Amino acid sequence: MKGSTLGVGRLRAASAGNGVLGVLVLLLIGLTLGMGQLEPLFRALFPDLGTPLYSRDSFLNLMLAHIGLVLVSSLISVTIGIAAGLFVTRPVGREFEPMVSSLAAIGQTFPPAAVLAIAVPLAGFGFAPTIIALSLYGLLPVIQNTIAGLGTVPQTTLEAARGNGMSRWQILRRVELPLAMRVIIAGIRVSVIINIGTATIGSTVGAKSLGTPLIAGLVGNNLAYVIQGALLVGLLAIVTDLLFERLERRYSFGG
Amino acid sequence: MIELQGLTKTYAGKHVVDDVSLTLETGEFGVLIGPSGCGKSTTLKMINRLIPLSGGRIILNGDDVNTLPTEQLRRRIGYAIQSTGLFPHWSVAQNIATVPQLLKWPKSRIDDRVDELMAMFHLDPSEFRHKYPHQLSGGQAQRVGVARALAADPEVLLMDEPFGAVDPITREVLQAEMKRVHQQTGKTIVFVTHDMDEALQLATRIALLNGGRLVQYDRPIEMMVTPADDFVREFIGQADLGLKLLSRRWVHQYQRPPSLAHHATLPGLDHCWQLDDAGRPVALEGARLDDGGVTPVKSEWTATPDMSLKEALSRMVWYRVMVLPVIDEAGKLIGEIGMQGVMGIQAEQRVHAS
Ligand SMILES: Nc1ncnc2c1ncn2[C@@H]1O[C@H](COP(=O)(O)OP(=O)(O)OP(=O)(O)O)[C@@H](O)[C@H]1O
Ligand SMILES: [Mg+2]
Repeated sequence: MKGSTLGVGRLRAASAGNGVLGVLVLLLIGLTLGMGQLEPLFRALFPDLGTPLYSRDSFLNLMLAHIGLVLVSSLISVTIGIAAGLFVTRPVGREFEPMVSSLAAIGQTFPPAAVLAIAVPLAGFGFAPTIIALSLYGLLPVIQNTIAGLGTVPQTTLEAARGNGMSRWQILRRVELPLAMRVIIAGIRVSVIINIGTATIGSTVGAKSLGTPLIAGLVGNNLAYVIQGALLVGLLAIVTDLLFERLERRYSFGG
Repeated sequence: MIELQGLTKTYAGKHVVDDVSLTLETGEFGVLIGPSGCGKSTTLKMINRLIPLSGGRIILNGDDVNTLPTEQLRRRIGYAIQSTGLFPHWSVAQNIATVPQLLKWPKSRIDDRVDELMAMFHLDPSEFRHKYPHQLSGGQAQRVGVARALAADPEVLLMDEPFGAVDPITREVLQAEMKRVHQQTGKTIVFVTHDMDEALQLATRIALLNGGRLVQYDRPIEMMVTPADDFVREFIGQADLGLKLLSRRWVHQYQRPPSLAHHATLPGLDHCWQLDDAGRPVALEGARLDDGGVTPVKSEWTATPDMSLKEALSRMVWYRVMVLPVIDEAGKLIGEIGMQGVMGIQAEQRVHAS
């Protein structure tokens, strides 16, 4: 009885979530493709501006470039982050765990702009330094949560897995990773969301992104540009966050 | 058959298991018992090599366990632990199928085996197959844990305080079930507990450990009758030794033929059974303390041949009857058990129920 009412409650929450997510996705696509339609609105809001609509590039191009930056850098941080997290939780790498954990913690106290400033002299302007900065920055939550997630797997469960004759690899793949997945995904979620925001400053070193109109607006004192860039970045972050929330929920077992 | 030969485990020079040697024959129910920290779990886990040995040998059905590949060895040995260690992300059926899956059994064989085990542990497959561990009661989870350990029909079943975390009532039910499963499957079992009553209830052999050393290895009844030293005597507990003895004696050993006509066997114990056409006892004349007349027989105070004398005595006291009818599976009267039986006085003609 209790189980079924809980289940219904959860279902309802999920379908309400679906509705919100659907509306936001439509809004995101609509604004990306049809920001131009809002030109009269921006003209009315900012009568003093000569060009109240950013038009040096299409918002679609900017959006795709932005997503590309985030995707590539997140892929790198997730791959390296999970690998590092796995390494330090295996017997061979256990001695590195304290070092990696504290590096990950300290690393997150650096502002992303500082990381970018260091990356430019190393990798020049444009796409590459931005990817380096974003990957480094996004690495940390992934490592931390991989270590934490694997740490939540109960000792008795691991002992049962070994006692039942699973090999190390089978234990990792069938028991540890699925049980740690919710926490690992939470780390990826933080990493990706941070990178969606941070990718905007990539445009200060010449990487095209949704930050381009934003920075242009700030430099050229054009508040309309700032709003257009920020609106899309914000929406993209919220939609991504909701998607991750649903993914995480799939990996909660009896919590 | 399992042989421990001079089994030793040292941690930082300290012997936590010290030169333990014993042999457990196939089909026996061996219980490792002793105070906390005496090395029970360590001994058990050396058998499936969850803990490496420091010295000695373990022979499992002729194979030195140290010569077998670890994973292969563990798939030959069932392992059930306290708080179950069930995989929280797998359903009951998937959990039970763990080892068969590792052994790559065909799916239909796995499904059949899962159903068979769920039936053995009275878990209705239609209700429980797809449940997850967090949806089970403690007792149900423990049953699934034992079913998982038995799934691939292992040569030996190792159990480390499997019923340590459930309430006393569920615990008794699980013990009775474990006993039945042992009889049905004829498995060789090594079972760790620190509860002497549990050991007496289940064991065919008890190994009492203290400080890593094997103090006594004997049949339960011998351990009670001839304790090796004061430690054993104390550990078994003097207080209700009588009751513990009764818990190791069975009705079929002490029952006598039923009295079907009045004749004074003992003063004040004149009684006789009335049967129905099928030979089932329906009423008892005399021998009831509250009521000297005719009392209808109630199933609550009947005895079966495989019941312990402790249980029989408990029923006599609670229902205030001096003598219980012993019935077979069909409910037919095959004997009776009274105070003489409980006192260990065997009837002239022992009635064997087998
Ligand atoms: N990894 C270890 N390192 C050092 N000492 C250990 C280790 N594991 C166990 N011990 C010690 O070995 C002794 C035996 O432990 P074991 O777990 O076998 O006891 P036990 O008889 O199962 O006790 P309990 O009834 O409390 O479960 C204990 O004194 C324990 O402190
Ligand atoms: Mg123990």
